[in-house]
Amino acid sequence: MTKLTKTFSLSLVAAGLFSSVASAQSIAIINATIHTSTEQGVLEGASVVIDEGKIVAINPESINADTTVDAQGQIVTAGFIGTMNQLGLVEVGAVAGSRDGGDDKASIDFDPSLAFNPRSSLIPYARKGGITQDVIVPNGGESIFAGLASVVDLSGSFDSVNQKQVALVVHLGEKRKGSRAMSMKTLIDKLEGHKSAKKDDKKDPTTEQKILDKVLSGEMPLIASVQRASDIYELVKLKDTFGINLVIHGGDDAVVVADTLAKANVPVIISSMANLPGSFDSMHANLANAGKLEKAGVKVIIGVAGDSSHNVYQLRFDAGNAVSYGMTQQGALNAVTSNIADVFGLNSGAIATGKRANLVMWSNDPFELKSHVSKMWINGEEVSTEARQDKLRERYTTESAMPRAYTK
Amino acid sequence: MHKFAPSLMVISLGIALAGCQDNGPQDPKVTIDKNPYPSTYKPLASTSTLITNATVLTGTGERLDEADVYFVDGKVQQVGKDLSVQADNTIDAQGKWVTPGIIDVHSHLGAYPTPSVASHQDGNEMTSPVTAEVWVEHSIWPQDPGFNRAREGGITSLQILPGSANLIGGRGVTLKNVPSHTMQGMKFPDAPYGLKMACGENPKRVYGSKGVLPSTRMGNMAGYRTAWIDATEYKRQWEKYDSDYAAGKNPEIPHRDIKLDTLAGVLDGDILIHNHCYKAEEMAMMIDLGKEFGYHSGTFHHGIEAYKIADLLAENGNCAALWPDWWGFKMEAYDMVQENVAIVDAVKNSCAIVHSDSDTTIQRLNQEAGKVMYRANDVGFNISEQHAIKWITANAAKSLGIDDKTGSLESGKQADVVIWNQNPFSVYAKAEQVFIDGAKVYDRHDEKYQAQSDFMLGQQ
Repeated sequence: MTKLTKTFSLSLVAAGLFSSVASAQSIAIINATIHTSTEQGVLEGASVVIDEGKIVAINPESINADTTVDAQGQIVTAGFIGTMNQLGLVEVGAVAGSRDGGDDKASIDFDPSLAFNPRSSLIPYARKGGITQDVIVPNGGESIFAGLASVVDLSGSFDSVNQKQVALVVHLGEKRKGSRAMSMKTLIDKLEGHKSAKKDDKKDPTTEQKILDKVLSGEMPLIASVQRASDIYELVKLKDTFGINLVIHGGDDAVVVADTLAKANVPVIISSMANLPGSFDSMHANLANAGKLEKAGVKVIIGVAGDSSHNVYQLRFDAGNAVSYGMTQQGALNAVTSNIADVFGLNSGAIATGKRANLVMWSNDPFELKSHVSKMWINGEEVSTEARQDKLRERYTTESAMPRAYTK
Repeated sequence: MHKFAPSLMVISLGIALAGCQDNGPQDPKVTIDKNPYPSTYKPLASTSTLITNATVLTGTGERLDEADVYFVDGKVQQVGKDLSVQADNTIDAQGKWVTPGIIDVHSHLGAYPTPSVASHQDGNEMTSPVTAEVWVEHSIWPQDPGFNRAREGGITSLQILPGSANLIGGRGVTLKNVPSHTMQGMKFPDAPYGLKMACGENPKRVYGSKGVLPSTRMGNMAGYRTAWIDATEYKRQWEKYDSDYAAGKNPEIPHRDIKLDTLAGVLDGDILIHNHCYKAEEMAMMIDLGKEFGYHSGTFHHGIEAYKIADLLAENGNCAALWPDWWGFKMEAYDMVQENVAIVDAVKNSCAIVHSDSDTTIQRLNQEAGKVMYRANDVGFNISEQHAIKWITANAAKSLGIDDKTGSLESGKQADVVIWNQNPFSVYAKAEQVFIDGAKVYDRHDEKYQAQSDFMLGQQ
């Protein structure tokens, strides 16, 4: 027990900016309030054992692990999962050379994960919000097809792209120039064209053809960024026609067609903070929408709006606000963990045997402003939440007779 | 002797100032109207109100538990325990918290409203790097639905500023957050005007791309200095006109320039500087710039690096209006620390403010301040709720020059009051009732007090 407390305080001090605190050892977290994000709900005074990067046991009869961490009743959740941002694909928004999320020529086969930088300063900062994985997406180019989404973890290691090509992103709805009908036609033509094209067995299929195969078979979700209810309704019809696995992103007006979405089993990635009519596509943006969609039976994913690459750490607060305006606590937790895993086929987002050992221990209610990450693990290894920001703060709050530049 | 004295004086002055055309009978005196678009704001109807049994954060650094707040005729009259007063309206606030109305010193509501269509982009006059002649109040669309959303978050006063494309972007205006179909109906009576200035990347990017000064940070400084030199001369001309006229002469009227009217207003101390400025070294220079031309450098907005010069800001009496955690969208926003506000605040005579610059976070300035308080306390600060509330009330009022009127629950202040369902620094906190000048302008549980913009009416 004492050994554990020491490990905890030392790890905060000693952990480097980028390194995870390596341990290939098994770890048991005991005496925790485990929010499983599964049907098991919340387990009080519970234990979870992780080994070889996976969760190997929950509440085993006897605990056998190299290290034991006493949570002292603190809440342990699955690591939160960010979505729909360019984490690791941008360092400074306005610095073009640090941006790799988009390209004028980007289209169906554009895969920005080839540019993913696990050493970005955004990654340790995001860990402060208990983010352990993230669905990164291209922000696209001239085509309505922005490209391919990937799943990364926030370990900071060079092999942290977990799954490539988990979804295809398409931008629909209002346009700066021209008609949205043309965007929709482009999408329909692409799907129709691929569906009816004769297979040429002599030629290897192109990347684009392989992707469209997966989209049409429903194996690869199609994320449509769109807000207006009528556009969402049209897309649900496309789902019927082509059997695609449709995911709505944005969905400020999704609440208007909530029942249709629920019936068609279409998940919605929503900002729970949107509540202004940013455009004529978003007349129904409201803080209560996440809760209303949940109530209607829609699978809801909460994503951070705006510059979500730099601000994904705020995901937990967005979840808290969703609860404040009517979502259930469990629904909000699922909206930042298990629902994302379900939609994108990740073996994470829940505390269950066999799942990836991405866990976060919280000082208090994870959605509350006052709480912070006490400890976290990615792929079974403890990681630090110390970021460049902490170094800057320490430099300017430490008294020194020498110029600040000597305080490191 | 006496009889002749005046004419002798006229003669001698006439010789001394030959060619100035200032002898002869006086033309009517020209006086510049400093308030040509006056406030027409009238508080909504109110009754005497007693809020009982609340946790009260006064905005003066005090916290009173199980306390009462009594306001009548739009003014706070008493705050304390077990007040023995009778009110027309008594609200049992057991378990609830009461704070002064929240003030945002940096908003673009009305000037960059929603829907954010091209027709509504009225916040940046991007045609010249110095546009002190524009007044953002002339851009404000009072039907911006964002005003209502902000009120639901407890915002009772806010300053609307022009954008940051220009070195000197124009006048800002302080509003009472009441629904009105004219700008004047919202205008905060007797609040001083602000002047928006901007450092750093924005002006040099906007004008550098047009091939005109400034394209560099040194160009920025040259641009401000040139403007203040013009303003100094303009102020001298008008002062000379006024003094000559007072001396009985008939001086030539200086050419009226509304750009220089505003800058001279700053030099006169009537208009307060609000300076978009992220970086430590730039803020330090803007403080010196003010000294060079004899005005106060005012409030720094968005000072991402304010924590690096916390001492300097306090020494010079500068407020710093800051975000808790926005960062990384451009180079000058790279060195964010989550404790910025708290570090600035920790120095004696400081004036730390949490601001939004956003139509969404303006709805949750209480949460924004809470984030700072908790992150700072995580690393060893010891900031209480009664102190943190000042960042979004009293200190904000000071920055806007309205601290004699609002920003705290003290006897005689305007009764701008928020009742929260719980500790306002919780993610689950919601404003339940909002009062401006003693009148209820929002009630979460009574649709009668939920204003709706013309734009939203009848939408389906």
